[in-house]
Amino acid sequence: MSATDTGGRVSRFGSAVAEGWTRERLGLLGAVALVLVAFAPPFQVYLFTDFLVVALFALGFNLLYGYTGLLSFGHGLFYAGGAYGIAIVLRDLTPVVADVVGAGIAPLVTFALGGVVGLALVVALAVPVGWLSVRLEEIYFALITLAFGMLGYSLIIQDPAGLTNGTDGVIVLLGTVDLGGFSLRIGGRRIYYAISAVTVVAAVYGVWRVVNSPFGTVCKAIRESPDRAAALGIDVSHHRWMTFIVSAAVVGIAGVLRAGLASVASPGLTHWSTSAIAVIATVIGGATYFYGPIVGAFIFLYIRWAISRFPALEAYWELFFGALLIAVVLFFKQGAVGGLLLLRDRLFGDGDADDAGSGGGGARDDGGQATAATDDGAESGDDNARADRGDNS
Amino acid sequence: MTTVLKTEDLRKQFGQLTAVDDVSIEIDDDKITSIIGPNGAGKTTFYNLLTGVLEPTSGSIWLRSGEGDELADVTDAEPHEVAQAGLSRSYQITNIFEGLTVRENVRVARISHEGTRLDFRSRATGDESVEADVEELLELTGLTDIADTPCDTLSHGEKRTVEIALALAIEPNVFLMDEPTAGMNPTEVTEIVSLIRELDADLDATFVVTEHNMDVVTDISDRIVVLAEGSILADGAPEDVLTDERVTEAYLGSDSV
Repeated sequence: MSATDTGGRVSRFGSAVAEGWTRERLGLLGAVALVLVAFAPPFQVYLFTDFLVVALFALGFNLLYGYTGLLSFGHGLFYAGGAYGIAIVLRDLTPVVADVVGAGIAPLVTFALGGVVGLALVVALAVPVGWLSVRLEEIYFALITLAFGMLGYSLIIQDPAGLTNGTDGVIVLLGTVDLGGFSLRIGGRRIYYAISAVTVVAAVYGVWRVVNSPFGTVCKAIRESPDRAAALGIDVSHHRWMTFIVSAAVVGIAGVLRAGLASVASPGLTHWSTSAIAVIATVIGGATYFYGPIVGAFIFLYIRWAISRFPALEAYWELFFGALLIAVVLFFKQGAVGGLLLLRDRLFGDGDADDAGSGGGGARDDGGQATAATDDGAESGDDNARADRGDNS
Repeated sequence: MTTVLKTEDLRKQFGQLTAVDDVSIEIDDDKITSIIGPNGAGKTTFYNLLTGVLEPTSGSIWLRSGEGDELADVTDAEPHEVAQAGLSRSYQITNIFEGLTVRENVRVARISHEGTRLDFRSRATGDESVEADVEELLELTGLTDIADTPCDTLSHGEKRTVEIALALAIEPNVFLMDEPTAGMNPTEVTEIVSLIRELDADLDATFVVTEHNMDVVTDISDRIVVLAEGSILADGAPEDVLTDERVTEAYLGSDSV
């Protein structure tokens, strides 16, 4: 009896989800959540900003991995490029900018200028690095990008040009905007969160548009079969090169935000272990889904935070992630998003399973159920197919 | 009658082995040409040379590009350049975008053909002329009903048809089909043969087919070229070529007939 009740409730919830949770409402909910986070305790605001930055890092990386089929182990180079770009501008150009625009607004102008310079630097790096890297595939691509990342690491540490301040890195002082009665500390947790949230949302939307553009469609085709793509007239290595540059640029934006958040641009950003964060977050979240890297970054940061609350475990947090990664690779090839979608299909069902559920749940749901079932059917069919592909490979 | 594809003394050596031995051939647009030959005769190598996948040791390849009768030299062209110049192919082992739906597969080919490959700004699904062309192609190849099915769930025969739709989507002057009936059951073979006939009648593309199934070869060919050990053994109308003694001899002892 109680089992039937639960079944009914689950099915009603299922149809409510399908009817009500349209893209617009989810978007609105997300926006409200982003605003609410700003009122959380300072550390939580910091942690959430950290999540947004890592999410953008992983999302940029996945443009190349999940969408084009190239696994880069050197995207830390572009993360560091963005961070050092803004850090050096803030350190060296703040007085110059203050002379031009006035001391009051200078911190904000320098910050914006630093962001642009960081992004430009990353693109300038990605053009030659990408051109050389995309000539290789699979493990060779992973190795050459790893090599470029570590080359950046040693250049930053050796600091031949006297710009990067060696192992200590470049301290980032964001400063305070002071306009008469109005003052704004850019580095303040909540202000910086607001800047990051707006930037990340805009960048995520940008990536979403790229993925759904003709360009992104061609990326997916190249991932599926480079030979076939070439036989249809697609210049595969040129397209990979372009994707590499776009991917690096997105990661560069994340790097710019990282510098301000960490108050330092440090050489560790281009170390392979930083590049690996993007890989891990993407694999945990699910590389075949647009939101996979974002979900993965969330899991990565919040589990790491949860572990850090237990001092006895903290030293072992990497061990824990190793185990999690093994579990995902062995049992959930589609990552957390794939797992959740599978769970949704199991719980709420689609097609026939859904009809059976509404029989137990009561007649009043039937109308909504029918449309929900058809909407759901096409989508989950796709998911299943993806899951199958993962199992076969 | 116009020549759409021509090779002059085309040669490919792998070390000591000569896979394609000075082949000179002209393909005309008014016939379906079949290229046959026992296993190891050099058919696939020949195709890979034509499509730019392999670089010839010597010789040249000429392709009719665009509307005119002029032939362009595509000897040193990359695969994507050959495709852009008007040569399309299907593979012996089906090669399609498995993770995408049928419609997405065809859409990729149309995007490539329309030259909107590097367009970041518009929506892939937003270009109405592309979408109309995609629908038309799906209709032409009979794939409309399964347009939204992911390709990795299709049957072998359906995948073959998707590959034909892909190859045709770039509006080729020449369509090289590498064993279109490989691995198909008799019903599927009948269907694909009638599809090839229909398409040949409807479209401007010139079909060139390699095939092991002799019934199919005699059924669809207007001209048969026999390759053996890398060179042309016989070339002509089906009734002449298939009764040629040298051809029968070349096939003796092989498992191909």
